[in-house]
Amino acid sequence: MGIRTRTRWAGIRGCRLRTLSTEDQSLLARAATGDADALEALMTRYSARIYRLAYGITRSAPDAEEVVQDVFLQIINKGAGFEGRAALSSWIYRITTNLSLNKRRGKRRELETSLDGMLPTFLPDGHRAGERAFVVADWSEMPDDALLSGEARRMLEAAIDRLPEHYRAVLVLRDVEELSNEEVAQIVGDSVAAVKTRLHRARMALREQLTRHLGAGA
Amino acid sequence: MTCREAIDVLADFVDGVMPAALAAELERHLAGCDPCRAFLATYRKTRALGAVAGRVDMPAEMQARLRRFLADNLRRA
Repeated sequence: MGIRTRTRWAGIRGCRLRTLSTEDQSLLARAATGDADALEALMTRYSARIYRLAYGITRSAPDAEEVVQDVFLQIINKGAGFEGRAALSSWIYRITTNLSLNKRRGKRRELETSLDGMLPTFLPDGHRAGERAFVVADWSEMPDDALLSGEARRMLEAAIDRLPEHYRAVLVLRDVEELSNEEVAQIVGDSVAAVKTRLHRARMALREQLTRHLGAGA
Repeated sequence: MTCREAIDVLADFVDGVMPAALAAELERHLAGCDPCRAFLATYRKTRALGAVAGRVDMPAEMQARLRRFLADNLRRA
């Protein structure tokens, strides 16, 4: 393409985060003028990631598809004005997160439950509460094939469904997209501490439900 | 360090962003605590399973619909 790629860096809360590269800037400007090649390049780079995040938050393929379409419309309509204080991917993840959360508003609330009943409990002296067989249950050596198929997979998907959507957003951005806590904080507009807390509680809730299902047989 | 304190800081340990002194303290606790060792192993596995379950591919027909949608929008613009 002949465009020199130069990535700038910005310091945010003591961390270095990438800012808009010259190549991305050019793609955004061209996409805004209706350049089909630029749009295709943006689709190739970002549509899979946008869909993964949108599906991860909405847990609905039709809703995720609408989000992907809306994100690309925003890229076309607002991309040229993007100031570039963050990487393009961060901006796109932020739009995707916001649109997905908006899509979820008022939907399927009944599936989402408070995390309190899905977290480990403790005795006053700080030891784990519960029967010993449960608190020492270790199913981590079970083969992935068994854990990612059949009843165990359905159980995992149901557990993810039950997470509040803001928790799912952080879980996908950290554990699926493998972004740093600092990048996720920038995307969801929250503090690093809040992101870390939400991530830990989400993972613990999933672990607890898997253990209730698998633990006795482990 | 109690089990509650150990589990509270597990995310930083698993994600490799825990200060060395705290990691050493946690490792001492883990060495003598079966429930926390089991918790750590299953927590790590849960993270890995969640990552695999979350890698959902965008269906090819959806990609095609997105291309058509964007092309239609560009034509109208």
